[in-house]
Amino acid sequence: MSESVVTEGLPVPASSRRTRLLRSWRRNRFAYALIAPAVVFMVLVHLIPTAAGIYVAFLDLNLFTFALLFHAPRVGLQNFQDLLFDAENPIRSGFTGAVENTIFYTVVTVGVTLVLGIAIAQLLNRNFPGQRLARTLMLAPWVVPSFVVAVLWQFMWQSDSGIINKVLVDYTHILDDKPVWLLGENTMWAIIIPTIWRGLPFVVLIFLAGLQTIPKELYEAAAIDGAGAWRRFRHITLPLMKPLIAIQLLFGVIWSVYQFAVPYVMFGVNPPPDADLLMTLIVRQSFTNQLFGYGAAISVMLMLVMFAWVVVWYRIFRRDLVTA
Amino acid sequence: MTAIGLAPRWARRLTYWGLNLLTYAVVALMVAPVLWLVASSFQSDSRLANGTYDFLDPTFGAFREMWSTVDFEHYFMNSIVICSIAALLATAFASSAGYALARFRFRGADTFGLAVIGTQLIPGSMFLLPIFLGFVWLKQNTAFALYDTRLGMILVYTAFFTPVAIFLMRAFFAAIPRELEEAALVDGCTRFGAFVRVVLPNAAPGIVATYVYAFLFAWDELLFAANLTQERAETIPIGIRTFIGNYQQEYAQLMAAGVISTIPVMVAFFLTQRWLVRGLTAGAVKG
Repeated sequence: MSESVVTEGLPVPASSRRTRLLRSWRRNRFAYALIAPAVVFMVLVHLIPTAAGIYVAFLDLNLFTFALLFHAPRVGLQNFQDLLFDAENPIRSGFTGAVENTIFYTVVTVGVTLVLGIAIAQLLNRNFPGQRLARTLMLAPWVVPSFVVAVLWQFMWQSDSGIINKVLVDYTHILDDKPVWLLGENTMWAIIIPTIWRGLPFVVLIFLAGLQTIPKELYEAAAIDGAGAWRRFRHITLPLMKPLIAIQLLFGVIWSVYQFAVPYVMFGVNPPPDADLLMTLIVRQSFTNQLFGYGAAISVMLMLVMFAWVVVWYRIFRRDLVTA
Repeated sequence: MTAIGLAPRWARRLTYWGLNLLTYAVVALMVAPVLWLVASSFQSDSRLANGTYDFLDPTFGAFREMWSTVDFEHYFMNSIVICSIAALLATAFASSAGYALARFRFRGADTFGLAVIGTQLIPGSMFLLPIFLGFVWLKQNTAFALYDTRLGMILVYTAFFTPVAIFLMRAFFAAIPRELEEAALVDGCTRFGAFVRVVLPNAAPGIVATYVYAFLFAWDELLFAANLTQERAETIPIGIRTFIGNYQQEYAQLMAAGVISTIPVMVAFFLTQRWLVRGLTAGAVKG
C-alpha cells in the first residue's frame, strides 16, 4: 500500500503505456495473486454463464429447438415484446401477475421487517431481567433453514388441524371461522409472514449492534433539554442508524425479489396465482415448460430492474454512507 | 433510554414493566414456531393430522421412520460434504481477496469490488441454464463429471458464496492495525509470510464468522441443487421437497426431518455464536 502511494505520487517518466502497465503489474503482483482464485470462480460461474443467459433471452429456445441450443433461431427482442405487450400471449398474464405479487411481497416483507427490526432492537437495548437470554432466543428463527421454515409454516397454516387456526379460533376466539391459508388470496400472506419471521432476527441483530454504538450521553443531554422519547428517537436514533437501515434496505429488496425457496417448498413449482413470485415463474417457464427464451428474457429484465434499484439506492443514500 | 427524572416514579415503573412484558411477548412469539417444530416431531403422524396432540406422551417414531421413508441419510451426507467444503473454499478465497481489497490499491481494485457486488444482483435463474448446459456438455464430451456430482455442487457453491464472504473478510482486515504487518515485514517476513503468520491469526474470529455464514447460506440453497442434481448429489432441501411431494400427510416425519436439517446449522451457530455475532455486526456497523 505505502509503496504504491509513493510511486503514484512521483512524476511519471515519459515511458510507453506498455512499460507503465508492466510496472503496475509488478508492483501489484501480490494483490493480483490474492484475488486470482476469486476472479477465476466469478468468471467461470457468474460472468460467462450470465453472458450466455443474456444471449438466450434473444433466442427462440424451447422444447422443440432445445437440441439446437445456442444455434436456436435468433428472434431479437421478440421474447421481451411478447411478455410486455402481447395481450394474446398466455404467458403474459402469468408474468404481470407475478410482477404484481413480487412487488407487493417485497414492499411488505422489507417494510415490516425494517420497522419491526428497529422497534424490537430498541426493546432489547434496554436493561431488563433476562436480557441476555432474550437476545439469544431472538436469533432462533434465523438458525432454521428457509426450506424448513416453509415446511414448518405450511404445516402450521393447515386450516383444520394447523396450530395457527387452533390458536386463532379454538383457543382464543379471535376469529369465528377458520380461514383457509393455503388457497386463494391468503396464500400471499402464507409466504410473507414466514419470510418476515425468519428475516427479522438478523436485522434486529444488526440494529441492536448499531444502537449500542450510540453514546448514552446524547440521549441524556436531549432529555435534559426536554426532548421526549419520540423526538429523541426521531432526531438521534434514526439519523445515526440511517447507514445501517440503508444497507438492510438494499439487501432486503434484493433478497425479497429473488425469493424462491419459501413459495417453492410450500407450494411446489406451481404455486397458486396469488403466491406466484417472479423466481418461481421463471423456473417454471424455463425448466418445467421448457420455454427457455422467455425465462431468460424475464431474468434479464429482472436483472436490469435490480441494477436500477442499486443506482437509485446509491443516489438516495450516498451522503449517509460516506459518514458511516 | 428511560426518561430521566421527569415522570413520576410509578409511571416510570409502569412503562418499564410494560415494555418488559412486550419484549417477553415478542421473544415468545419468535421462539414459538421453533418449539412447535420440535414438539410436533415427537408426535405421531395420525395425531398431527387430526390435530389431537399430546405433548406429555412423546414418541420417537418419526425420527426412526424418516430415515427409511426417503433415503434421508443420502441427502444429509451430501449436504454436509458439499456445504462444509464449499464454505471452506469460499472462506479461503475470500480471505485472500478481502485482504487485497482492504490493504492494496491496485489497478482494477474498484472494478473488482464492483464486480463482487454485481454478482449479488444477478438472478440465479439467469446463469442456471448455462451452467446446467455446461455441466451436461462436460459430462458428454469429457471425463470431467460435474452434473449430479458433489464436486460440481461444491464448485458452484464456492463461487456463489465467495462474494459475500469477501465483503465480510474485507471489513475484518480493515479493522486490523496495519502496524502488525509492518512490524513483521521489518522483521524479515515476506508479504505472504506476514499475511499468513500475522494477519490471518488476528483475523481468526472473522474467518470463523465468515465460514459459518457461508455454510448457513450453502445449507439453504435450493434452486441450483434442484436443477443440477438428479440422484447422486441431491442435498437436504431436495430431500424435503421429495418428502412433501410424496408423503404429504406424514407431518411428524416431515417435522423430524426439519429438526434433523436444523441441527447442524444450530450446532455451528452456537459453537461460534460469540465470533459470529461480533463478526457480522462489526462488518455491518463499520459499513
